[in-house]
Amino acid sequence: MTNQPAAGLGLKPQHYADALSDPAAGAWFEVHPENYFCAGGPRHSHLTAIRERHPLSLHGVGLSLAGDERPDRPHLLALRHLVDRYEPFVVSEHLAWSRRGGTWRPDLLPFPRTRAALMRIVSHIDETQEELGRRILIENPSLYLALQGHDYPETAFLTELCARTGCGLLLDVNNVVVSANNLGFSAEDYLDSIPSHLIGEIHLAGHSPDPHLGDALLVDTHGAPVSDDVWKLYQRLITRIGARPTLIERDDNIPAYVDLQLERDRAAHILSAAGSHRQAAHAA
Amino acid sequence: MLHDDRAFFDAFDAALTADERELSAWLAPGSPPGLSVYRNTIASGAVDALVATFATVMMMTGEEWFRAAAGEYVQAHPPCEPALLAYGESFPTWLATFPPAADAPYLSGIAQLDWLWWQSWSAADAELLDGAALAGLPPERLSDVTLALHPSVRIASFNAGIPSLWLAHQSPTRGAEQVLEAEPEHMLFVRTGAQVEGRVIAPGPLAFIASLAKGASLIEAAESALAADPACALHQVLVTGLALGLFTHLSPIERNPRHDD
Repeated sequence: MTNQPAAGLGLKPQHYADALSDPAAGAWFEVHPENYFCAGGPRHSHLTAIRERHPLSLHGVGLSLAGDERPDRPHLLALRHLVDRYEPFVVSEHLAWSRRGGTWRPDLLPFPRTRAALMRIVSHIDETQEELGRRILIENPSLYLALQGHDYPETAFLTELCARTGCGLLLDVNNVVVSANNLGFSAEDYLDSIPSHLIGEIHLAGHSPDPHLGDALLVDTHGAPVSDDVWKLYQRLITRIGARPTLIERDDNIPAYVDLQLERDRAAHILSAAGSHRQAAHAA
Repeated sequence: MLHDDRAFFDAFDAALTADERELSAWLAPGSPPGLSVYRNTIASGAVDALVATFATVMMMTGEEWFRAAAGEYVQAHPPCEPALLAYGESFPTWLATFPPAADAPYLSGIAQLDWLWWQSWSAADAELLDGAALAGLPPERLSDVTLALHPSVRIASFNAGIPSLWLAHQSPTRGAEQVLEAEPEHMLFVRTGAQVEGRVIAPGPLAFIASLAKGASLIEAAESALAADPACALHQVLVTGLALGLFTHLSPIERNPRHDD
């Protein structure tokens, strides 16, 4: 059985037992490291057991890399401790901010993509990669406000971050769909302008219409199955770039494990079709 | 340019709490009215963390009351770090001063026990003491050694029967039948395997464990236990403690030589 990560699932505590016995080839799991910033207990023993059988990815939500403060040292040290302990195949974070003035806002907040912001975030990524002793991936955000004062489009900003720090990208197709809908740009154009070699992981998730504004404002709730438009864009992306580790994210309205497995199998099928297509092209 | 960015963060922070005027300078014409999405996510993220941590309080108050109270706490004491497991330490004391909770003064104690349960649940793992090591300890060494407590051990004292009330609410049916007794009670939490055990303990064992937690010798801990309860059966305290997994190892006490001389 290959242990090469193909299609994976966000790991929820209610699914520990199912995840542990999941026999799927290429299955892997992702967790938020902040949920494991505790000394011991069942959370760590479950994750340890799962890590013994499956590849693991640490997907941070709290480093606030786009903030106007340096990454928090205790946070970086706690993250490094988890990286050393669990040896994840990917460590990722968001292009967003959340920490400022001693307060942490449990969200991923936007900012103007200025030249100053680029320099600042480059130094934050450098500091993170140095502390962890490895490359990280940066995820594109879901946007709900159109800011002005940007010096770069988001794709150029992300590409520039990669060029200057050596980091890679975690491309969240659902976030692209949400932002494109809310801010009125083309999701296809966005995805097409990301260089293939920078993409180290892909996220797929479900979104929901805003309770008051409906489809005019989509919200990245992770509370529904992956939508058809996200699947179409994903298929199109994989056809262009080839297979990449792909995660089904679900954080709300969490269904039975088997339902998540079905979505994961759909991604795995698209990935293996791309793989065999590539092999056929090489053989020809 | 950096200065401009700082002004943006100030404006965004102000807009998150109430005042959107400063942020309007950064909004593109035709921006969707998406500020509420950020506000809602921030508010619900912190409240959801309190819902998970203070589950017994919520069971007793109902979800609507609890979420409203938690929302007020979040305003006054927002999270300072992204590990939401560690958020809410001051919620029990805040609840004691929250006017709408005045007719349920036991809620603060219930919240304190919820908090200690999580502390025990997420504490470090450690090997347990082999009882034989204790049995083989020569009596003359009782004043030189202490028993190190398992990192998951937590104790708390109350001037009413809050621990019994908390324990009854861990069962889906017994909670409503339990009345709050007026007698003082003491609670012990310890994790064995994946389970946190919570039990009401007598004043003797409480004093023994509290003494060890401060690094006292075995003899000092025994004296504290007997001072708290002259009828305390020390042998039984040790046997029960070993069975519960309260102890990890015997540890020599570092004494200052000037005091020994």
